[in-house]
Amino acid sequence: MTEENRVHSLNYLSFFGLILLAACTVSQQWSENYAIMHGVKSNDPVIIDGNLNTVGQSQFSKSSGAIDLDIRKNSESVIMLPAKKKIYRVVIHSSNLEDFQLLALNTMGEWDQIHDHRSNKESVIDVRLKRSVTTDGIKLVVRKTSDDAARRRENMKYERENEVTSGGNVRRGRNVYKISGNLKAPAQIAEIELFGYADSTP
Amino acid sequence: MKNKTQFLQTGTGNIQILTLLIFIIGFVFNGCTALQEAQKQRQKRLDERRKVDQLLLTASDANIVVTPTPVDDKPHGESDHYTLTFADDLLVKADFDEEEERELFAKSALSYMESLYNALHNIFGFKPKHKIHVTLYDLYQGTNRIAVTGTQYGYGNNMRHVSGIEMHFPMEMYARHEVRVHELTHAFTNIYYLPTWFSEGIAVLMQTEYAKGGGSPKYDSLKKSMKLDTNGINELENWGGHIESTALTPWRYSYAYTVVSELREQYGKELYIKLFELMEADQLHQKLYGSMPTSFLVYYMSQAAGRDLVPFFKELQFKVEKIEKDDIVEYVKQINEQYIRRHMH
Repeated sequence: MTEENRVHSLNYLSFFGLILLAACTVSQQWSENYAIMHGVKSNDPVIIDGNLNTVGQSQFSKSSGAIDLDIRKNSESVIMLPAKKKIYRVVIHSSNLEDFQLLALNTMGEWDQIHDHRSNKESVIDVRLKRSVTTDGIKLVVRKTSDDAARRRENMKYERENEVTSGGNVRRGRNVYKISGNLKAPAQIAEIELFGYADSTP
Repeated sequence: MKNKTQFLQTGTGNIQILTLLIFIIGFVFNGCTALQEAQKQRQKRLDERRKVDQLLLTASDANIVVTPTPVDDKPHGESDHYTLTFADDLLVKADFDEEEERELFAKSALSYMESLYNALHNIFGFKPKHKIHVTLYDLYQGTNRIAVTGTQYGYGNNMRHVSGIEMHFPMEMYARHEVRVHELTHAFTNIYYLPTWFSEGIAVLMQTEYAKGGGSPKYDSLKKSMKLDTNGINELENWGGHIESTALTPWRYSYAYTVVSELREQYGKELYIKLFELMEADQLHQKLYGSMPTSFLVYYMSQAAGRDLVPFFKELQFKVEKIEKDDIVEYVKQINEQYIRRHMH
């Protein structure tokens, strides 16, 4: 075989390889949305009702009793599947989500981080995971929303702590921050969708 | 003789082998059982660790119809088990003054509440016959700190029946899912006309242990945290209910929850489900005019627990007596006669 023929053969091989790969990719379909399967549970069921016209919220977990920790707590959306599924893609429909993490529940009952997302500006966030994850629990931890600043203004006021004396006069006090609630806003989430490949075994 | 000795020796050998085999099989099976038990324990530990410390619900497929600007005092939204209305003071707020905002909120709120309804129906095994009318306010009765569930009753054929259920939430309270669970528990259990302390105790139990919310902490000791009135009766029995707000109110919520939770721990998670089943079977609660006396409740509670609970309540200074079903029937008869006499006069 001459050098020229060898090059030709290699070219043909590469070409067929490419075609084969393209065919495989084209035939690869996303699975049904696992989040709307029967028996799926969430801490806000509205985010898994399959309806983009309803909006749920990420939830703040139970108060720890320490106000300085509670006011800065991240809210979370949790989805628990009735059986383990191999997940490749997570689609989040949210109007205010900026920074967040995705975690997956492992067999030891611990949450492993599978994705970290910062500075989002999109209302539909399509996350393709670097590696598939086989799990029955997905958690979205909301680190920042575009409504956080407004919530902070609403719940944290800088006020002077004046005192009324026994003579009825007002004694000017020091300036203090008064906090009346959480300083972070929950994420407004219409839907969280979870996909694997249609032909992959769950 | 030699053969016989050989036979005996062989027989002894066989027996020894057989014993050894039985021992090995027993050891293997026992090992398997022990292994299975260890695996079970491990799975239990893992399941425990995997428990999410939040209320998890399945999505609802209820029919929801929303009218963002209704006419003739119609609700803004209606679903299989609810109607939803925005009060006037909420409609002027920036988040509710546009049709689109009201439509989105009403659809989402009804979807959540339907999920919660299904969950409580699964837990209790019964549900109210009527739709629950929910009204959302900016301020309810001048405050954003109180949510109220009211049940209207009607009378007919010597029986009391529920004629309507209303829930009133200021938005601040509606935003807390544990408050929704508390109020919806009232909407479910009010059909049994329970004593206030028990009704609130069950609602706080659901709010805390099912919805994983905070609010009313549980006391370490029922005896040490007991408060008595001037007659030496437990202050829990003098509770007027939701609307009442006194210095004792936080104690009452916590103490009622502690009593209810303590009994559930002692007599099993199914205690109150059995209690409601027993009351439902007898239907005597429907013949009561006024609220249910604690002795009436304790009779059914004892039946559900399989043990006389009168001493437990007496120790906590509740005004209770040991009664039987005949006493309840007689009591109901007397109450009815008094009611009829009063109405005839």
